[in-house]
Amino acid sequence: MQKIIQFVLRNKLLLLVLGILVLAGGWYSYRQLPIDAFPDVSPALVQVFTETEGLAPEEIEKYVTFPVEVAMNGLPNLEKIRSVSNFGLSVVNIYFNDGTDIYFARQLVNERLQEAREQIPEGFGDPQMGPISTGMGLILFYYLDDTTGQYSLTELRTIQDWLIKFQLQTVPGVTEVLGIGGWEKQFHVVVDPDALLRYDITINELIERIKSNNLNVGAQFIERNAEEFIVRSVGLAHNIEDIENIIIKAKDGIPIFLKQLADVKIGGAVRRGVQTRNGIEEVVSGMVVKLYGSNSSTVIERVEKKMEEINSILPPGIKIVPYYQQKSLVEASVKTVTDALLQGIILVAIILLVFMGSFRPSVVVSISIPFSILFAMIGMYYFGISVNLMSFGGLAIAIGMMVDGTIVMVENVDRMLRQSKPGEPRIHVIARACVEVARPILFAISIIIVVFLPLFTLQGVEGKTFKPLAYTVSLAMLGSLVFAIFLAPVLSDIFMRRPKKVKSESQSGENFIVRLLLKFYKPLILFFVRRRGAAISLAIVLVLIGTAIFPRLGSEFTPTLQEGTVILRLTMAPSISLKESTRITQIVERRLMKIPEVNGVVTRIGRGEVGAHTDPINSAEMYVLLKPKDEWRSAETQADLEKIIRDHVGNVPGVLTNITQPIQMTVDELLEGVRAELAIKLFGDNLDVLKEKADEIVRVINKVPGAADVQADQISGTPQLLIKVDRHAIARYGLNVEDVQQVIRAAVGGETAGQIFEGVRRFEILVRYKPEYRNSLEAIREILVRAPGGIKIPLSQLAEIKEVIGPRQITRENSQRFITIQSNVVDRDIGSFVAEGQKAIEENVDLPPGYLVTWGGQFRLQQEANKRLAIVVPITLLIIFLLLFSSFNSLKNTFLILLNIPLALVGGVVGLWITGQNLSVPSSVGFIALFGIALENGMVLVTYLNQLLKDGVPMDKASVEGAMLRLRPVLMTALTTALGLIPLLLSTGTGSEVQRPLATVVIGGLITSTILTLLVIPAIYKWFAIDLNVERRLD
Amino acid sequence: MKNRFKTIFLNGLLAVFVTTAVVLLQSCANGSDAEKTKDTHKEESMEEEGHEQEEIVRFSAEELKEFGIETAVAGPGKLQVHIDLTGEIVIDPDRLAHIFPRFPGIVKNVRKKIGDKVKKGEVLAIIESNESLVPYEVKSLINGTVIEMHLTLGEVVNDARHAFLIADLSHVWANLNVYQKDLPYVKIGRKATISAGYGIKEAVGVISYISPVVDEMTRTATARVVLPNPDGRWRPGLFVNATVVKEEMEVDIIVPKTALENFENQTVVFIKTDEGFKPQPVSVGRSNTYSVEIIAGLQAGQEYVSKGGFTIKAELQKSELGEGHGH
Repeated sequence: MQKIIQFVLRNKLLLLVLGILVLAGGWYSYRQLPIDAFPDVSPALVQVFTETEGLAPEEIEKYVTFPVEVAMNGLPNLEKIRSVSNFGLSVVNIYFNDGTDIYFARQLVNERLQEAREQIPEGFGDPQMGPISTGMGLILFYYLDDTTGQYSLTELRTIQDWLIKFQLQTVPGVTEVLGIGGWEKQFHVVVDPDALLRYDITINELIERIKSNNLNVGAQFIERNAEEFIVRSVGLAHNIEDIENIIIKAKDGIPIFLKQLADVKIGGAVRRGVQTRNGIEEVVSGMVVKLYGSNSSTVIERVEKKMEEINSILPPGIKIVPYYQQKSLVEASVKTVTDALLQGIILVAIILLVFMGSFRPSVVVSISIPFSILFAMIGMYYFGISVNLMSFGGLAIAIGMMVDGTIVMVENVDRMLRQSKPGEPRIHVIARACVEVARPILFAISIIIVVFLPLFTLQGVEGKTFKPLAYTVSLAMLGSLVFAIFLAPVLSDIFMRRPKKVKSESQSGENFIVRLLLKFYKPLILFFVRRRGAAISLAIVLVLIGTAIFPRLGSEFTPTLQEGTVILRLTMAPSISLKESTRITQIVERRLMKIPEVNGVVTRIGRGEVGAHTDPINSAEMYVLLKPKDEWRSAETQADLEKIIRDHVGNVPGVLTNITQPIQMTVDELLEGVRAELAIKLFGDNLDVLKEKADEIVRVINKVPGAADVQADQISGTPQLLIKVDRHAIARYGLNVEDVQQVIRAAVGGETAGQIFEGVRRFEILVRYKPEYRNSLEAIREILVRAPGGIKIPLSQLAEIKEVIGPRQITRENSQRFITIQSNVVDRDIGSFVAEGQKAIEENVDLPPGYLVTWGGQFRLQQEANKRLAIVVPITLLIIFLLLFSSFNSLKNTFLILLNIPLALVGGVVGLWITGQNLSVPSSVGFIALFGIALENGMVLVTYLNQLLKDGVPMDKASVEGAMLRLRPVLMTALTTALGLIPLLLSTGTGSEVQRPLATVVIGGLITSTILTLLVIPAIYKWFAIDLNVERRLD
Repeated sequence: MKNRFKTIFLNGLLAVFVTTAVVLLQSCANGSDAEKTKDTHKEESMEEEGHEQEEIVRFSAEELKEFGIETAVAGPGKLQVHIDLTGEIVIDPDRLAHIFPRFPGIVKNVRKKIGDKVKKGEVLAIIESNESLVPYEVKSLINGTVIEMHLTLGEVVNDARHAFLIADLSHVWANLNVYQKDLPYVKIGRKATISAGYGIKEAVGVISYISPVVDEMTRTATARVVLPNPDGRWRPGLFVNATVVKEEMEVDIIVPKTALENFENQTVVFIKTDEGFKPQPVSVGRSNTYSVEIIAGLQAGQEYVSKGGFTIKAELQKSELGEGHGH
């Protein structure tokens, strides 16, 4: 230590330059750091979407999901594969182990996707990877406002898909723009089946004819003289007229045009999503998805600028109106923490001034704050941590602590300078002062860093949320250590002066405030040192209070971050039609519009272009657009407003409502976990058996004592019209199954027959029967199929047509179908419940071969977390113990300092209780921080008491004198830490709800632990004092 | 002694510290359950409420209006079930006349052309016989319209080919193709509505004939409707559709198809009781595209939901909605 300090003081210039380099590097890093609202908690996930128009869940699973899953099996770092086969859409979620590089994962998936494509039958869709983005990626939603009212939804959607989308996608950092709402333009060939019969043409012939009359070809070139002429033949249809005039057949020289068989018109594609607004209209909208890892705020800025440009080139009367922007959230949460940071810095500086009583030392200490913060920035840049609520929150928490090391150092220098003999060179005094405290500072700060170790082992969402905080705190503390050891001596030498006038001995140069405090403190400390029993009683009473209050505290997981945007989510009956769900949604929108605070409502029903959402049409997300907060009349907070919304919306028949927030919702979707404590998964092949056995399990589990909310997934409930081709019937007419199915597909579902190009825009030609010939069971029965030989047979004579109830969706995990039965456990320990439940299922449910039950859910995660903590916490304690022991070389001292912890905990517990908060992950992070801070205070005092004892001062006198002399540094470090946190405690800004419990715990704990440090430790020091004999022998 | 006390004291302290730390960290890990349990309890209580009411839903008058739920009173009605057939208009062979030149000769004069209306005995053309070199008149045998003409002025014609085809189009036949599956229902005497679309007015006729054999090529039988055609709109060759009444009956209870809902694997109609709406399983009889006969489960005079029953069904299923939606 001595050598280091000497080296430092000899190379002042070098260290100053290095220090300035760190500052500059920190600033540079800060400019490079991505800025987000919250830490991104999305899992390492690659999604594969396959859209297959018109296919039912069973077929999707068989033809699409299965090949994709099989191809993905065995990828490196693969955690699990979960898939959902829905009507018309297959989603395969490939989860990788946390920390897997997303580009690496995508590359792996992409390679295997080739295999999968080969296995998927022609025409059953092409699997695509989702956008390179995460749950935080949806940065901006907008809708198109048509003030003229003249544009159809199809025209607006065309503008969105072919103009706005392409423009926005060129913005760096935007990975995808997804459209929804309105109608995708198509050219509809609406076939009259009677006309087909009249002219003896089948729908498939008609499709073929359209395809072969809509082509451009190239035919190389010819040479003429010295020139080459490129030969091309154009035969593309360009408009409705061209399509209408396609000749389908000619008989006796009389052409039969398409227009004689069908109406050709512009129509909308089949859609699975609608966007509505204010309960009065449908709109076209889009969402901008940010590229993984890009800087939210700059991307948003660029997108906004681009939107202005686009607005100027849009047809007059149309404009882009953003209705959700992550920008406001990013700004608000960054503002919350930066405000807290700045206020904290000011408060800390005031404390320094008050206690130091002079300006110069305060300057030295104050510089440690920017240094530590910028040092942490370099680390953040290195570890790829974004600026967000949690990482900056960590800095805000650490503000008070980062000055501690330097305070102790500078305070010692200050004191030594005052007490030094006038003859001694100033630099010698400084060196002596620095060496004296350097070692304890090193240990104290190391301990603070070590106590944050358990946070690094957190997994999943908590891990992703709190690790940035742990990183920044540790980095900032490391920075403050570097500053205290390497720069504080240099700066002390530059800034600090020997006091001009030496004051009287008894005052020892303390300023007014400290003197005042000492006046109160002296009688107290004398009392406790004389009556040690009282000191112990005080400690015991405090611990008892804490123990009494602790069970009264409620507990919650993590307080919900208020994003400032309210989403009302509707879940409707699974079999609902899009038209009906739109109607219901608009009713709810109208109810919402009656709330005075609500400015508008924009709702997405179902899904648009795949990529961001895969919601079925029975789900609607309503973005409730609020007036500015100062215009609110009946609500003050977001929570009030949510209540008002609940009241206004009330019970909507047939609809489950749920209030959530954009990011929260997206992340929940990606995590896709079961929310209940227990999830019993039944794996097996047959959907009916799964359903039946799951119902049995529900009955069995319900009888196990402690079971609550037992529910099995509803996997069926979608009505189907099942057309089963009768093989005997078709055999009679010489038909193939496919011949019949092709007619069904083209007539009822429609079939694409090429594209129409309008410049670069391309639109599909869809051939389909007239609605009245396909939209009812009766009509479908009458669809005619032509057999070889020209006989035409109605479908009902070839197939059995019936209405059945089919599966809603098929979920699979690791290539096996499963159904989940979830349950909570009340008044009982989960372990025994699981054991009893397992036994009950084994005895009462007879599972066919190949069916398997697994138990999982939150309880498994908790068990894992507990197991990990059971190892990590003792290890951390051991490290702390070793650090303390190697610092003091005394078991007794170590225990004395560890005594701080229970008393600090008491304060934290009381703090939570008084403010009515719960135990939660952030509050335990507070407790962790508290450990470190409490130990630090104890160390400062005990070190000095040992010093006095070694100098030969008698025990009692040493106790009192040591305590009096260390009052200033102990109070200062405690106060700076506490006051640094006050802004977080009082803040009501976005994201403050996560930081508040943490600040409460630390401030509360600091109060009790400071009492202990100042009153109890000196009193009981006697029993824990170092053995002077041992010390002497060592010396 | 004093030392032992101290060791115990210290050990105790350390134990307190370790346990508090572990308890704290675990309790927050458990925190999530407590909260979630609370939430699900809420849902559960909602659900239980639903069960206590024995599947009854209440709506206020405003809600009924807002959600478009309409009721009607069950009662008797007429239920018509029909079959759709395709067919074409053909000339009645009994009203067709082939006019042949009696002797080969040269056409000297053509009096009528295609489309002209002619009367029985009216001269159509004059031909000079090759044998006698005497011109003779070719006359129409019936009242009708010239639909074919195979002679030109100066042409040499013979008696091998008809010169005129005269059809009386005042009545035409609509020949309908009857598929095997429809044969039992298509009977002589049944009414059939014939339409050709494209603004051609519909006509109603009666099936007067059904072919005794089924065509080997098309596997259809032919049913015939004789249509009066005073305005000539039923042009032979026209493609037509026919709706034949399969059955027509008076039923005791008839409801629109919109009233039927599938609820818990049963077909139900929601009936209005004093307590509210409740599902009533019904057995359905015959039906057509719009209406259905109720055989059992609904009494005449009962008020039932004729439209918007889906909302009621969804409300009853609400407790199940939450799970399994596709993400």
